[in-house]
Amino acid sequence: MTARARVDLQELDERELFGMLPKDTAAREELTRRFLPLAEYLARRFSGRGESQDDLFQVASLGLLNAIDRFDLSRDVQFSTYAAVTIVGELKRHFRDKGWAVRVPRRLQEIGLRINAVLPELSQQLGRSPTIDEIAARCDANAEEILEAMEASHAYATSSLDAPAGEDGAAPIEVLGSDDPSMELLEEWASVAPAVRDLPQRERTVLYLRFFRGLTQSEIAREVGVSQMHVSRILSQTLRELREAVNPGAPVAEPELLEEID
Amino acid sequence: MFTDLGTDSVRLSIPARSEYIHVLRSVTAAVAGRLPLSLDDVDDLRLAVDEACARLLALPGEPATFRLDLRSLPDRLEVVAAVDTPTQTWPPIGFEDTLSWRVLSALAESVRFELWNGAPAIRIVKRTISRNGR
Repeated sequence: MTARARVDLQELDERELFGMLPKDTAAREELTRRFLPLAEYLARRFSGRGESQDDLFQVASLGLLNAIDRFDLSRDVQFSTYAAVTIVGELKRHFRDKGWAVRVPRRLQEIGLRINAVLPELSQQLGRSPTIDEIAARCDANAEEILEAMEASHAYATSSLDAPAGEDGAAPIEVLGSDDPSMELLEEWASVAPAVRDLPQRERTVLYLRFFRGLTQSEIAREVGVSQMHVSRILSQTLRELREAVNPGAPVAEPELLEEID
Repeated sequence: MFTDLGTDSVRLSIPARSEYIHVLRSVTAAVAGRLPLSLDDVDDLRLAVDEACARLLALPGEPATFRLDLRSLPDRLEVVAAVDTPTQTWPPIGFEDTLSWRVLSALAESVRFELWNGAPAIRIVKRTISRNGR
């Protein structure tokens, strides 16, 4: 496509461009270019569910291409509306095909929610993180169910590293005191594992609090304003990613599979 | 309330492949969950086993088998993760500067790189909660 043709296409409106389909591939490209930000925006709304942003963006882009090919000008609907529906459908199907979210038995999801609900109060009453048995008693479940629910929460909702930092109200790392000597340690560590530097702020904060300030998961949960189970997920996911970055060829532990609890 | 495991030990031997690490993680959590350990401690152990196994798997010599030994003692749980391939340099030189070491030592009261029948092993010790509080 020549530069001139590109400029001309940019001046056309959507309807005119759609009128040139399916023959004109340049028109198709121009439509893709215009609506790619929509795909990107929608992909981001699905982050934090254990899929990389790149993968989600790819799925969303595919949805956009399908939408362009199937859009019917005679229908009384804006293309952006039609595209959004198609893209979201594609993203949802992607998660369904992966077997996530839907495969965690409802019973375990409910127990997981109950654990999150009782943990802060129970921890406060005891002055420490409760044991599995103590949580079980409070949740009206048995210890096995608690362990299963904890495991299931890891399997289906691993927090994405690309999730925008601070989305859960993460405390910015600066707030924690930049003249803290352990902050220097983290910097030093970054020279051993440069990937540390590339981590989103929330992941870095959690990592720093756990491994350099020695806070427990419950304490971090309070500090950062997320649930203990979420902290646990962030830690395991971040460590997994760092391991991969430090040693790309190294075998990486698979995320917990759900087969054994289904 | 707590199952008294006395000095019971649970031993496991599985193929040394990454897709099996979750089995060790789950068994560790299941055994730890029966002891007077906090939720945080149980999760720490899960992370530590993950890390130890990843560390052992990355060793040269392609280990064939993972061994996991969980021993409950009156005041602590000792977890040993080991492979079956003897190695020349264990603990590896400069291990104190690694991500692995930093992570492991923060997750447990004590972590030791040992030899088990001449093969690399990592021993992780987690103290249990005393009956009268912390």
